Amino acid sequence: MSEPQSVTETKTESEPTTRTDATGAIDIDHLTKIYDPKGEGVVAVDDMDLHIEAEEFVALLGPSGCGKSTVMNCLAGYLEPTEGDVLVDGDQVTGPDPKRGVVFQENRLFPWKTVQENVEFGPQMRDNIEDGRAQSILGEMGLEGFEDAYPSGLSGGMQQRAELARLLANDPDIMLMDEPFSALDALTKEIMQKKLIEVWERDNRTVVFITHDVEEAILLADRVVVMTARPGQVKDVIDVDLDRPRDPEIVTTERFTELRERALSVIREEAQRALEQEESV
Amino acid sequence: MDTRRRLVRIGSVLAVPILWFVASRFGLIPGLPSPGAVTTAYIAEFDRLDFWISTIQSTIRVLVSFAVAALVGIPLGLAIGRYSAFADLTFPALEMLRPIPPIAWIPFTILVLPAAELSIMFITFLGAFFPILLNTVQGARSVEVGYSRAAQSLGAGSFQTFRHVIYPGALPAIHAGMIVGMGLAWVNLIAAEMVAGGTGLGFLTWSAYTSGSYAVIIVGIITIGLLGAASSTLVRWFANWQIGWQEVEAA
Amino acid sequence: MSTGTIDRLQRQFENGTVLPVRRVRQLLSIVGFFVLWSLLVRFEVLGFGLFVGPEQALETLLSALGGAPMTEGGATIYAHAAFSTARVVVAVALAMVIAIPLGLLIGTSRSWEDALFPGLELFRPVPPIAWVPISLLLLPSFRSGVVFVVFIGAFFPILVNTIQGVETVDHEYVRAAESLGAESRQIFRHVIAPATMPSIITGVSIGVGLAWITVVAAEMVAGGVGVGYIIFQAYRLLQTDVVAVGMIAIGILGYVSAALVHRTGHRLNRWQEID
Repeated sequence: MSEPQSVTETKTESEPTTRTDATGAIDIDHLTKIYDPKGEGVVAVDDMDLHIEAEEFVALLGPSGCGKSTVMNCLAGYLEPTEGDVLVDGDQVTGPDPKRGVVFQENRLFPWKTVQENVEFGPQMRDNIEDGRAQSILGEMGLEGFEDAYPSGLSGGMQQRAELARLLANDPDIMLMDEPFSALDALTKEIMQKKLIEVWERDNRTVVFITHDVEEAILLADRVVVMTARPGQVKDVIDVDLDRPRDPEIVTTERFTELRERALSVIREEAQRALEQEESV
Repeated sequence: MDTRRRLVRIGSVLAVPILWFVASRFGLIPGLPSPGAVTTAYIAEFDRLDFWISTIQSTIRVLVSFAVAALVGIPLGLAIGRYSAFADLTFPALEMLRPIPPIAWIPFTILVLPAAELSIMFITFLGAFFPILLNTVQGARSVEVGYSRAAQSLGAGSFQTFRHVIYPGALPAIHAGMIVGMGLAWVNLIAAEMVAGGTGLGFLTWSAYTSGSYAVIIVGIITIGLLGAASSTLVRWFANWQIGWQEVEAA
Repeated sequence: MSTGTIDRLQRQFENGTVLPVRRVRQLLSIVGFFVLWSLLVRFEVLGFGLFVGPEQALETLLSALGGAPMTEGGATIYAHAAFSTARVVVAVALAMVIAIPLGLLIGTSRSWEDALFPGLELFRPVPPIAWVPISLLLLPSFRSGVVFVVFIGAFFPILVNTIQGVETVDHEYVRAAESLGAESRQIFRHVIAPATMPSIITGVSIGVGLAWITVVAAEMVAGGVGVGYIIFQAYRLLQTDVVAVGMIAIGILGYVSAALVHRTGHRLNRWQEID
């Protein structure tokens, strides 16, 4: 589990995963999720359709309580749809799977395991720990020297990087990220966003990224899916036709402003509607 | 909870008397009185004044000792938790006495205190006192300094801060201590009554053993258990009533 | 100067007092206790005239530690302490072996909880000491009777805390493990068990405390050997110095065992510290 690894091996770069055939396409087909269907019946997601290409970076954007997290939980396989299907590469999602890795809003590193043990957790479950792999991933995430630390000893940004490292060590086709950077300070957030894009561009995984931050969504994603307030539905899909790599300064460009205004107007409308809904109750 | 689950849970409770019946009927545990014999003995006890006196006496001893423990332990704990000078002067001596099981004090109390009744109550008091004290100290220390500062900035004096910030902030911990304290009050009461003799349910159970009326031992156990459950329910109920804003953690 | 020292100094300043002052006050508390004890005995306040003072208690303690028999022709303090300790160790070990797996089972499986917990709950409100007469009656030997009662004392705190520990494990950790490819056995081993460890340790430390109370009470009423027995026997013989020595002995045993559990818990739950 934690036998000392030779220091010389830490230099080896984690070999870029070769992905010849693109995997990780997602089909959300008439997805409906109703909580407590026998009782009050809260409709969290209502008849949602969405296709996500393999290797695409999609942001799910919407006000709080719009069912983003419910969609995410259905994609991860934690929740079963009340109606409709979630398909990955044509196969029905029936439960959690290491092919679909998850980064949680509050980090879910196991506090009783060291950073290295956390990163090796996935491979360990399949008896497939490769010497030095954890170190090289941790090195890439700027966490060398913290292998034997417990998560409680890391800062928030480091914890989030360690969780990302744990995910990468498992080599998933799809990365599901639920507001992963919302608790970080602005500077750390920017570094993390850059890191994420770097990893995504190199390995070409599918990313579904939940956020309520409009700029973050546009900055990162190929497409931004704006969701309505409860019941959750797709309100608008915005193709982000900005060139990559995107610098943080891109937020000042005209095109970015246009896209942001478009997303914001939808969100404002939705927020207003949600407010009226609450008042009428 | 669906019907099936409820039935299983009822079955789990019913399994106890059934297993008991089987064990006594087929002599699996030699000497174990049967449920029937215990029921008969229970009914007979209802007619005996001695049983009622013992029950009432034990209950009063627990309630009075517990109340005194709370009245002494809570203010003392708050003071120890907030004033380091006071803590330094009192806590080390108390900490030295704490590892001694309350029941070990009984010869001392019989010698020193004027009445046997007081000895038993003192032992019961000690049982409840230390859990209440310790939890109160912890509770008072865990109240975030920001709340006291906020209160002071809003013009609260030192006593007002104590009354309106520290005490309510420590309440959940105090209640947790009271729940543990009530359990330990019963543990030590029963032990004291067995050792010191005289009256009470502990003595009733012990004398049933020495006099060979074995069914009455189990009558005693059941009665003690019922009163123990009732009094811890009482504490929980009191705690819930006292704070609406925070659920008491079930201990 | 190491950062540790700086931290410590800073904390002292924040408390408004420097360390030596606090040490003196704490020492005063202990000394004050012994002075009070001595005065109460000297001036025969209440029935203190019948009890031994600290000076003589200390004298008897030293001779007892030197191996003198506790009562006329009786065993040494070491023998009595060994008997009580053995009972506590056997009973607590037995309680752990049964209560921890049972608690994990009840905590993880709803159907097992339904089947077992309500029945067990019937026994929980009964103080362990109340079982003394019936276990002396039903169990084959006196020795097993006392151990059984002490076992009951330790059993319920360990069981209840283990169950609570399992039930309060954040479900998102289980989800995270599932998404990393863990099977249910692996989740149990790598998530449920370590996450429950702090609660188990809490249960064991409460259980050990109750075990000492129970063993003293059981030895007092049932007689034989052990520190509880010697305290009560010395009382009957009106050797109050021996009563005091017995109380000191049981206090030390209780303190040492609590510290031992605490340290073990600390080592097992190192991850909880923020470093």
